Amino acid sequence: MEPTLKQRVKQLIAENRVLLLMKGTPEAPACGNSMRAVAAIEPYGVEYAALDVLPALEPLREATGEIADWRTFPQLYINGELVGGADIVEEMNESGELAELLGAEQPEPPAMSAKEELKADDPQQSPPIQIERS
Amino acid sequence: MALVEDVKTLIEGALPGAKVDVFDEGGGNHLRVDVTASQFEGLSRIDQHRLVKNAVRERSDTGELHSLSVKTSVPE
Repeated sequence: MEPTLKQRVKQLIAENRVLLLMKGTPEAPACGNSMRAVAAIEPYGVEYAALDVLPALEPLREATGEIADWRTFPQLYINGELVGGADIVEEMNESGELAELLGAEQPEPPAMSAKEELKADDPQQSPPIQIERS
Repeated sequence: MALVEDVKTLIEGALPGAKVDVFDEGGGNHLRVDVTASQFEGLSRIDQHRLVKNAVRERSDTGELHSLSVKTSVPE
Protein backbone atom coordinates (compact mmCIF):
# COMPACT_ATOMS: atom_id res chain seq x y z
CA MET A 1 0.00 0.00 0.00
CA GLU A 2 1.21 3.52 -0.82
CA PRO A 3 2.23 5.25 2.41
CA THR A 4 0.25 8.35 3.23
CA LEU A 5 1.92 11.75 3.36
CA LYS A 6 1.62 11.70 7.14
CA GLN A 7 3.43 8.35 7.30
CA ARG A 8 6.15 9.65 5.00
CA VAL A 9 6.69 12.73 7.13
CA LYS A 10 6.84 10.58 10.27
CA GLN A 11 9.40 8.44 8.53
CA LEU A 12 11.51 11.47 7.58
CA ILE A 13 11.39 12.66 11.18
CA ALA A 14 12.48 9.25 12.41
CA GLU A 15 15.22 8.76 9.83
CA ASN A 16 16.88 12.16 10.06
CA ARG A 17 18.43 13.16 13.36
CA VAL A 18 18.13 16.79 12.32
CA LEU A 19 15.32 17.65 9.93
CA LEU A 20 14.19 21.08 8.81
CA LEU A 21 10.84 21.47 7.12
CA MET A 22 11.07 24.81 5.38
CA LYS A 23 9.77 27.03 2.62
CA GLY A 24 12.36 26.85 -0.14
CA THR A 25 15.80 25.29 0.23
CA PRO A 26 18.74 26.10 2.52
CA GLU A 27 20.45 27.70 -0.51
CA ALA A 28 17.36 29.70 -1.44
CA PRO A 29 14.94 30.07 1.47
CA ALA A 30 11.57 31.32 0.22
CA CYS A 31 10.55 33.02 3.44
CA GLY A 32 12.26 35.11 6.09
CA ASN A 33 11.49 32.72 8.93
CA SER A 34 12.84 29.72 7.05
CA MET A 35 15.96 31.78 6.39
CA ARG A 36 16.25 32.52 10.12
CA ALA A 37 16.08 28.83 10.95
CA VAL A 38 18.73 27.91 8.36
CA ALA A 39 20.96 30.73 9.59
CA ALA A 40 20.65 29.45 13.16
CA ILE A 41 21.58 25.83 12.49
CA GLU A 42 24.01 26.14 9.57
CA PRO A 43 26.99 27.48 11.60
CA TYR A 44 27.02 24.32 13.75
CA GLY A 45 28.17 22.38 10.71
CA VAL A 46 26.02 19.38 11.58
CA GLU A 47 24.47 17.29 8.87
CA TYR A 48 20.79 17.98 8.44
CA ALA A 49 18.05 17.13 6.02
CA ALA A 50 15.85 19.84 4.57
CA LEU A 51 12.43 19.38 3.02
CA ASP A 52 10.92 22.12 0.90
CA VAL A 53 7.25 22.20 1.91
CA LEU A 54 6.08 24.55 -0.83
CA PRO A 55 5.21 21.85 -3.41
CA ALA A 56 2.67 20.39 -0.97
CA LEU A 57 2.10 23.17 1.54
CA GLU A 58 -1.50 22.47 2.55
CA PRO A 59 -1.19 18.67 2.87
CA LEU A 60 2.01 19.11 4.87
CA ARG A 61 0.30 21.63 7.14
CA GLU A 62 -2.36 19.01 7.87
CA ALA A 63 0.20 16.23 8.32
CA THR A 64 2.43 18.16 10.73
CA GLY A 65 -0.64 19.48 12.54
CA GLU A 66 -1.56 15.88 13.30
CA ILE A 67 1.97 14.71 14.04
CA ALA A 68 3.28 17.62 16.10
CA ASP A 69 0.38 20.05 16.62
CA TRP A 70 2.29 22.63 14.56
CA ARG A 71 1.02 23.95 11.25
CA THR A 72 3.43 26.67 10.22
CA PHE A 73 6.88 26.46 8.69
CA PRO A 74 9.77 26.26 9.32
CA GLN A 75 9.77 23.34 11.75
CA LEU A 76 12.99 21.95 13.18
CA TYR A 77 13.01 18.37 14.40
CA ILE A 78 15.93 16.97 16.38
CA ASN A 79 16.04 13.35 17.52
CA GLY A 80 12.46 12.80 16.41
CA GLU A 81 11.04 15.73 18.38
CA LEU A 82 9.74 19.06 17.18
CA VAL A 83 12.00 21.75 18.61
CA GLY A 84 9.98 24.66 17.26
CA GLY A 85 9.72 27.33 14.61
CA ALA A 86 12.11 30.18 13.86
CA ASP A 87 11.50 32.07 17.12
CA ILE A 88 12.18 29.11 19.39
CA VAL A 89 15.15 27.95 17.32
CA GLU A 90 16.71 31.41 17.55
CA GLU A 91 16.06 31.67 21.28
CA MET A 92 17.56 28.23 21.87
CA ASN A 93 20.53 29.12 19.68
CA GLU A 94 21.25 32.17 21.81
CA SER A 95 20.76 30.32 25.10
CA GLY A 96 23.03 27.42 24.16
CA GLU A 97 20.18 24.88 24.27
CA LEU A 98 20.42 24.33 20.53
CA ALA A 99 24.11 23.44 20.78
CA GLU A 100 23.23 20.91 23.46
CA LEU A 101 20.43 19.35 21.43
CA LEU A 102 22.58 19.18 18.32
CA GLY A 103 25.45 17.77 20.34
CA ALA A 104 27.72 20.35 18.74
CA GLU A 105 29.94 23.17 19.89
CA GLN A 106 28.40 26.61 19.99
CA PRO A 107 29.93 28.31 16.93
CA GLU A 108 32.25 31.24 17.58
CA PRO A 109 31.17 33.91 17.12
CA PRO A 110 27.65 32.77 18.14
CA ALA A 111 25.49 31.79 15.19
CA MET A 112 24.32 34.86 13.38
CA SER A 113 21.05 35.37 11.60
CA ALA A 114 22.69 37.15 8.69
CA LYS A 115 22.18 35.62 5.28
CA GLU A 116 25.81 36.08 4.31
CA GLU A 117 26.73 33.49 6.91
CA LEU A 118 25.21 30.82 4.69
CA LYS A 119 27.43 28.84 2.40
CA ALA A 120 25.69 27.43 -0.63
CA ASP A 121 28.23 24.67 -1.09
CA ASP A 122 28.52 23.53 2.50
CA PRO A 123 29.76 19.94 2.15
CA GLN A 124 28.21 18.93 5.47
CA GLN A 125 24.75 19.38 4.24
CA SER A 126 22.62 16.62 2.80
CA PRO A 127 20.75 17.41 -0.39
CA PRO A 128 17.24 18.78 -0.05
CA ILE A 129 14.50 16.16 -0.09
CA GLN A 130 11.47 16.63 -2.26
CA ILE A 131 8.01 15.19 -1.65
CA GLU A 132 5.85 15.16 -4.73
CA ARG A 133 2.24 16.20 -4.36
CA SER A 134 0.21 13.01 -4.65
CA MET B 1 -11.00 44.56 10.81
CA ALA B 2 -7.30 45.08 10.39
CA LEU B 3 -5.38 41.88 10.90
CA VAL B 4 -3.43 43.35 13.82
CA GLU B 5 -6.63 43.88 15.84
CA ASP B 6 -8.08 40.61 14.62
CA VAL B 7 -5.06 38.65 15.83
CA LYS B 8 -5.10 40.45 19.18
CA THR B 9 -8.79 39.61 19.63
CA LEU B 10 -8.27 35.95 18.72
CA ILE B 11 -5.38 35.49 21.15
CA GLU B 12 -7.20 37.32 23.94
CA GLY B 13 -10.19 35.09 23.27
CA ALA B 14 -8.11 31.93 23.55
CA LEU B 15 -6.18 33.15 26.60
CA PRO B 16 -8.55 35.20 28.75
CA GLY B 17 -6.75 37.79 30.86
CA ALA B 18 -3.58 37.67 28.75
CA LYS B 19 -1.64 40.79 27.92
CA VAL B 20 -1.30 40.80 24.14
CA ASP B 21 0.73 43.29 22.11
CA VAL B 22 0.70 42.88 18.34
CA PHE B 23 3.16 44.67 16.09
CA ASP B 24 3.13 44.99 12.31
CA GLU B 25 6.53 43.89 11.04
CA GLY B 26 5.68 44.64 7.45
CA GLY B 27 2.82 44.77 4.99
CA GLY B 28 0.16 44.25 7.62
CA ASN B 29 0.49 40.45 7.36
CA HIS B 30 3.91 39.85 8.94
CA LEU B 31 3.14 40.29 12.60
CA ARG B 32 4.98 39.94 15.87
CA VAL B 33 3.19 39.29 19.09
CA ASP B 34 4.26 39.51 22.72
CA VAL B 35 1.95 37.52 24.97
CA THR B 36 2.05 37.44 28.75
CA ALA B 37 -0.40 34.92 30.15
CA SER B 38 -0.87 33.05 33.41
CA GLN B 39 -1.99 30.08 31.28
CA PHE B 40 1.66 29.62 30.27
CA GLU B 41 2.67 28.73 33.81
CA GLY B 42 4.32 25.33 33.86
CA LEU B 43 4.25 24.87 30.09
CA SER B 44 7.28 24.33 27.90
CA ARG B 45 8.12 27.13 25.49
CA ILE B 46 6.88 25.11 22.55
CA ASP B 47 3.53 24.47 24.25
CA GLN B 48 3.23 28.17 25.03
CA HIS B 49 3.80 28.92 21.36
CA ARG B 50 1.27 26.24 20.39
CA LEU B 51 -1.42 27.99 22.42
CA VAL B 52 -0.74 31.29 20.66
CA LYS B 53 -0.34 29.87 17.18
CA ASN B 54 -3.40 27.65 17.43
CA ALA B 55 -5.46 30.69 18.45
CA VAL B 56 -4.77 32.30 15.08
CA ARG B 57 -4.70 29.04 13.13
CA GLU B 58 -7.48 30.04 10.74
CA ARG B 59 -5.67 33.22 9.74
CA SER B 60 -2.34 31.52 9.17
CA ASP B 61 -3.81 28.50 7.37
CA THR B 62 -5.32 30.76 4.74
CA GLY B 63 -2.08 32.68 4.33
CA GLU B 64 -3.91 35.87 5.26
CA LEU B 65 -1.50 36.03 8.17
CA HIS B 66 1.77 35.31 6.40
CA SER B 67 4.00 35.09 9.43
CA LEU B 68 3.68 35.48 13.15
CA SER B 69 6.70 35.87 15.34
CA VAL B 70 5.84 34.88 18.90
CA LYS B 71 7.34 35.80 22.24
CA THR B 72 5.71 34.40 25.34
CA SER B 73 6.13 35.07 29.02
CA VAL B 74 4.49 34.25 32.32
CA PRO B 75 3.34 37.24 34.41
CA GLU B 76 5.67 38.21 37.28
